[in-house]
Amino acid sequence: MGLRGLFLGRAAAITAAALCLAAAEPADSPVNVPEPPGLYTGPQRGYTPPTLKGAHVVDGAAVAEMIAGPDKPVLIDVAPRERKPANFPEGRLWLPVHPSIPGAVWLPNAGAAPLPPEREVLFFNRVEQLTGGDKGKPIVVFCHVECWGSWNAGKRLVDKGYTAVNWFPLGVEGWQDFHETRNLTEDPEWKQAGGP
Amino acid sequence: MRPTLAFTLAFSAATLFAPLAHAAGASDTDQERNARWQEIAKSIFGDKTIESTDTLVKIEAPKRAEDAALVPITLSMPDREKIKSVSLIIDDNPAPYAAKFEFGPAADTRELKLRVRVNNYTDMHAVVETPDGKLYEAKQFVKASGGCSAPMGMSDEEAMKGMGDMRMKFAEAQPGKPVEATLMIRHPNFSGMQMNQVTRDFTPARYIDKVTVSAGDETVFTMTGDISIASNPVINFGFKPDGKAIKVAASDNQGGRWSHSFNAPSPTN
Repeated sequence: MGLRGLFLGRAAAITAAALCLAAAEPADSPVNVPEPPGLYTGPQRGYTPPTLKGAHVVDGAAVAEMIAGPDKPVLIDVAPRERKPANFPEGRLWLPVHPSIPGAVWLPNAGAAPLPPEREVLFFNRVEQLTGGDKGKPIVVFCHVECWGSWNAGKRLVDKGYTAVNWFPLGVEGWQDFHETRNLTEDPEWKQAGGP
Repeated sequence: MRPTLAFTLAFSAATLFAPLAHAAGASDTDQERNARWQEIAKSIFGDKTIESTDTLVKIEAPKRAEDAALVPITLSMPDREKIKSVSLIIDDNPAPYAAKFEFGPAADTRELKLRVRVNNYTDMHAVVETPDGKLYEAKQFVKASGGCSAPMGMSDEEAMKGMGDMRMKFAEAQPGKPVEATLMIRHPNFSGMQMNQVTRDFTPARYIDKVTVSAGDETVFTMTGDISIASNPVINFGFKPDGKAIKVAASDNQGGRWSHSFNAPSPTN
């Protein structure tokens, strides 16, 4: 990068470095994380961009308002399941719990990228069912704070032509401070299909 | 709109609407928490009745933890004669049974401190067993999340450097009085839920599963630990010194075994 900087000039070099970061590894600062051109394929945990083109970015209060309103949004939680350690002792209590926004549908890890093709098809099918085939139906996608999964899920829906996609980047952490949570179980169809 | 501004606005809006939203009530969530505690208690303690107590044991924890991977907990058990063991349960952690301390003759139970991982907003329960086998519980709610999967911010190799090293600090001793000690064990206590951010593999669980501290020939406590104990475990405890060395034996779930001996302080004046 140093050599290239010599030729490109300072500003261009910084932009190049920033783009390079977004594509390859997590950003090291929460400020001005750029939107990747497509789905983000880096680790899901990390600073996310402040925007998602084609979607609204919402906070917990806005989500609560939508839920209380006449056109209730479809709430889609894509947080991964808790992973049971492979070498966790037999017989020791393992009882993962997934608190979330009441009424949400939990499609664990649906924001992974890449997603196996049949998984991606199932994701779109489930959203189509949940929205009743209405591409203008309000949808809220979320997972945890600083989690790329919900950004990717939102991106997938925007690209698929959904016009009322709301991305709630603070996720469960941004919700639970001020609102009730409910423990969710995984969407049965999603679970039946198996996968990571 | 500049991103930083959007962020600020989002936060202030959340703050403004907070009291209204909160007033909507938390009863469903509370019921869910109670039901979960019943389920956990049954799986750990069977059908034994657990009475609540506000004297035998107290839990102190920050209402809102600064670091979910390092939440300081204090268990106060003022009446030594009535305490055989204490179990710490972090209800909404995936592995809720965080630790059990069984006390020996050299224990002073008045204050026991440790640092734990908290994965979700949760109730914490301390359950003490009395010498006659009865159980009593105290509860504390803690706000923290993501502590079990939080990466350590260094490579696994770096995190494991000096694994098993121990240090012990003693508070000033007074003749005939119990002494307060702080045991520090160097150990990553990998939860098995932490992803290596570079390789994107999960680091296998490697945690301290047993620590026995004795003063001379008498046991102070034996701790059974789990993945909910924070990395580089630090345990504050009290003991009754008899002038002999303090011995610590620790083991982890991957066969690591370490023991150290420390010179107990002799009373000044």
